[in-house]
Amino acid sequence: MAGLHALHKILAAHAQPARTTVTPGEYLQLVPDVFAFGISYNAEEANKFEATMQDLGVKEFPLRERIFAFQDHGAPAPSPAFAAGQKRWREVISSRGVAITDPGAGISHLQMAEGGLVGPGTLLALRDSHTPTSGAVGAFAASVAGGLLTLFALGRYFLDVPKVSLIKLEGTLRKGVYARDVALMVNGKLGQRGALGQAIEFGGSYVRTLPMDMRFTLTNTSTEVGAMTGYIQPDQITLDWCGPRAKRPMVVHETDADFQYETVHTFDVSSLAPQVAAPHAPDNVKPLAAVEGTLINQAFLGSCANGRLEDLAEAAAVVKGKKVHPDVRFVVTPASREVMNAAIRAGYIETLNDANAIVTNANCGMCPGLHGGVLAPGDVAIACNTRNFEGRMGPNASVYLASPASVAASALEGRITSALKYL
Amino acid sequence: MKVTGTVWKFPQDDINTDQIRRKNYAHLPIKEQALRCLETLDPSFAAKVKPGDLLVVGRNFGCGSSTPVHLTLQALGIAAVVAESFGRIFFRSSISAGLLVNACPGILDFTSTGDRIELDAVTGRISNLTTGKSMDGDRLPDFLREMIEVGGEIPYIKAQLKRDAAARG
Ligand code: SF4
Repeated sequence: MAGLHALHKILAAHAQPARTTVTPGEYLQLVPDVFAFGISYNAEEANKFEATMQDLGVKEFPLRERIFAFQDHGAPAPSPAFAAGQKRWREVISSRGVAITDPGAGISHLQMAEGGLVGPGTLLALRDSHTPTSGAVGAFAASVAGGLLTLFALGRYFLDVPKVSLIKLEGTLRKGVYARDVALMVNGKLGQRGALGQAIEFGGSYVRTLPMDMRFTLTNTSTEVGAMTGYIQPDQITLDWCGPRAKRPMVVHETDADFQYETVHTFDVSSLAPQVAAPHAPDNVKPLAAVEGTLINQAFLGSCANGRLEDLAEAAAVVKGKKVHPDVRFVVTPASREVMNAAIRAGYIETLNDANAIVTNANCGMCPGLHGGVLAPGDVAIACNTRNFEGRMGPNASVYLASPASVAASALEGRITSALKYL
Repeated sequence: MKVTGTVWKFPQDDINTDQIRRKNYAHLPIKEQALRCLETLDPSFAAKVKPGDLLVVGRNFGCGSSTPVHLTLQALGIAAVVAESFGRIFFRSSISAGLLVNACPGILDFTSTGDRIELDAVTGRISNLTTGKSMDGDRLPDFLREMIEVGGEIPYIKAQLKRDAAARG
């Protein structure tokens, strides 16, 4: 029998009926440890959902105790239509006894990890496409993709067992180069369908030294290469971070020594330079130097890719004692309340405010283009959020993705530049 | 389960959810969202497409967000989407909603806009009625085939609830 990957062992442990082994490609019936659900803003969808639940006779969600409901996209409401949609969704969900976190609590992916809901060995079900972010703590975290109603009505869902590829990152980064540059490099090398439907594990000597904040940045990019999920094998750094937070038992599964990865991609990060993903695709990646000097109208620091404390620290270090270029709006959206509080205590928020950055409440902010700095047609932005699809952050605008430090340095100069001279 | 319809071909790879329906329309009623469907690739698409038509598209169709853009295709009456390959979330969400989807490597060379094709969503067989040729797309795994056959996730859940109740006696 071929060896199993740790991810396969997590699936086997949550399969119904219980399994000792699983085979890539087969569908399993699973019961998740956590079912997370985002309050949307479309009233018609909420009404349809309620009608469906009534039609199915669902008075109580079987997973009620395990449902984590949150508001992070376009919240608090930017318009009457959003407000009405969110209100309707809140009614539908809370009427069945599920608590919903407030719109200042932050992005789901951060809240769940910070709150200890998700840790090593957790099976997480959530529809959001960046669910793989939670793989950084050693969870199996794949977007539910078409099993939402089944989870609400039956308390279980179906998932195909993925093949697993390994992205081995070796070496140490040069000054001015960050985890996001590595993530962008991977995105550029693999392309948007480089790991289509697979799971990807990030490993290698570079990953082993990485603090947790930046591990999330790596797994977050799994989505942009088409992967079902991302994973980092838990180690002491993981356990130290997760241990004090854990609300559920942590179970570290090991990959069998004879496990065969689908593909092994090896990259040496030692000579990497700052990267950007140019408009309009996250895999349109080139060295930042190739677009240096491009004028910008806006800069954005935030999102589930790079809205963590380390990211704010990098940006604050760059802008300290300086001012954002008068032609630029530099929007800073901490990704969670925990990040916001820690950044206040560390003085980063004050530094950013003093530099004329616009610090908003914690949530997705302008990443999904719903509020908090939507771009005008023709605008050019540099941002460290997840993706730069045409139209996402404003129709006919152009977005360059880069590291938080590159974003902050560009905000100061009003044109794309790396942070090197500010470090 | 067979559908026959006229092809609209979008040969681009990596057509993402924001291209299928921009997020800034996501709060609108589905019918209104549908009027903007695929507008970044063809501004007059929604006005031209007819109920029963099929989409033929490139690789990784529907990559990006989990936002339910398949509903806009359904609202336009699009009968099926045949792709070189699909983004995973879009693929599964479409099947749950009862929108027929088939992954068929080679489909771009096999059809042109305006062709009439027949898709057997269960076997994956695709016949081009205009050229008289046939080819095979991927067969759906049993679990998804079952869901397609009953009409999507809601009827599937109803059947499961019945089964659960019978098991309890
Ligand atoms: S920050 Fe962006 S990518 Fe992350 S969950 Fe929010 S909208 Fe999605």
